[in-house]
Amino acid sequence: MTVINREKCVGCKICQTYCSVDAIRYVEADKKCFIDPDLCVECYVCLRQEVCPKGSIEPVELTNFYKQFQHVISDPVENHGVTGVTGRGTEEVKTNDVSGRVKKGEVGICIDMGRPGMGVYLRDAEKVAMACAKAGVKLAPAEHTPLAALMTDLSTGKLVDECRDYRLLSVIVEGQCPEAGLPAVLKALQKVEKEIDTVFSLGLILRVDENGLNPTINCLDGLGIPQPHRGKVNVGLGKPLSLA
Amino acid sequence: MTHSLHRSGDIDSQKKDFNWFMYQTKGVNDKNIKDKALEFIAAAEAVGSENWGDVKTGPITRFKSEEIREKLSDKSRIRGVFTRKDQVVGFLKRIKEKDLGQSVVITGILSEVLPACKEAGVTPHSINYSLGVWGKKDNLPDDVTLSITTMCGHHMIPPKFVKHVMKQVEKGKLTPEEGAVKLANFCYCGIFNQVRCADIIKKETGARSTP
Repeated sequence: MTVINREKCVGCKICQTYCSVDAIRYVEADKKCFIDPDLCVECYVCLRQEVCPKGSIEPVELTNFYKQFQHVISDPVENHGVTGVTGRGTEEVKTNDVSGRVKKGEVGICIDMGRPGMGVYLRDAEKVAMACAKAGVKLAPAEHTPLAALMTDLSTGKLVDECRDYRLLSVIVEGQCPEAGLPAVLKALQKVEKEIDTVFSLGLILRVDENGLNPTINCLDGLGIPQPHRGKVNVGLGKPLSLA
Repeated sequence: MTHSLHRSGDIDSQKKDFNWFMYQTKGVNDKNIKDKALEFIAAAEAVGSENWGDVKTGPITRFKSEEIREKLSDKSRIRGVFTRKDQVVGFLKRIKEKDLGQSVVITGILSEVLPACKEAGVTPHSINYSLGVWGKKDNLPDDVTLSITTMCGHHMIPPKFVKHVMKQVEKGKLTPEEGAVKLANFCYCGIFNQVRCADIIKKETGARSTP
């Protein structure tokens, strides 16, 4: 956890400019800043960038599992303990040419909760995970994606109650569905996006032909969703190459 | 982690923005990767990669290339930036010829990336498509700020710091390029495109390259 040492703080407010989620407050009465523990996502930007001229921002031991989870997921320098991956701790399309995780006929669903830059309470991540599961998404297990470690039941996406009020910079809801089931999943997301108090960025992972195409993406037209301009292209140079 | 996927801003501006990545697969090719990582860095530098880095050390805008190379380990993640399609083509040709067996990913505007793959003679295997931002968008920063902050997909760049840098440029205390490097230093991965960022700052502030 990060705190501001009141003895050292001179109330210059420089640190507020560097907080990724506006979690640093200034108290006029005593002319000091403090970090709101309910808003801080433990991204450690303020620590790593050494933004305080008086060195008043200090790390404090993360006292429980959820605080540690919050830090590991919000700080891209850390490796996630189970998946071994830095950042949000997932592999998604990055190694799909070797892992074969998303196969022909399947769609990988990759929902960056709280992104861009808004942050997310885990209770909102739970709403989206549960909506996906109900619409036919098979949620990724804990060895593939960190959020699953907090789920009481992968088939429903329900999280443990104790974690719901923790806020992260972002966390990924990840899973798969058959290509034919994609429209139902997108409709469920169109519904649940109105029920959350944050944003998410949506990625769809598909196997593609030699021209980089897959007609499954055409289903977006019928749902009023614009065709994507951007993509993260795995160019198939990994070995052994998965043809599944 | 999909930290390069969801960039925003003008499509023409994004057409000058590509990210390259080397990835190791856990349990398959994730041991003794240093020599392979050095080959990727050499190929990227040969075609003029504007920024690159290792999340475990940081980007070349902040650290010396030698230091990043020296600290490479099996936990490293090597990635960087190109601003032109011909760099993507040259990079992919070099990596294909080396036949290193690591996964390679290029992120960018698909109408640029897919022709580059074809020209380089590589066959796309899978694509993660960006379907943009959903949900309660009322409290998002303005579009210009987002076009900069989303270049660090882990969102290490605070929106207020973008505003601060813009003001410094407007006052003539920083050039757009200097401001862009200050912002790039927040992105540990080295995928922040400081060249595109300087262009955005210039357009927004009307500032020139020299104060």
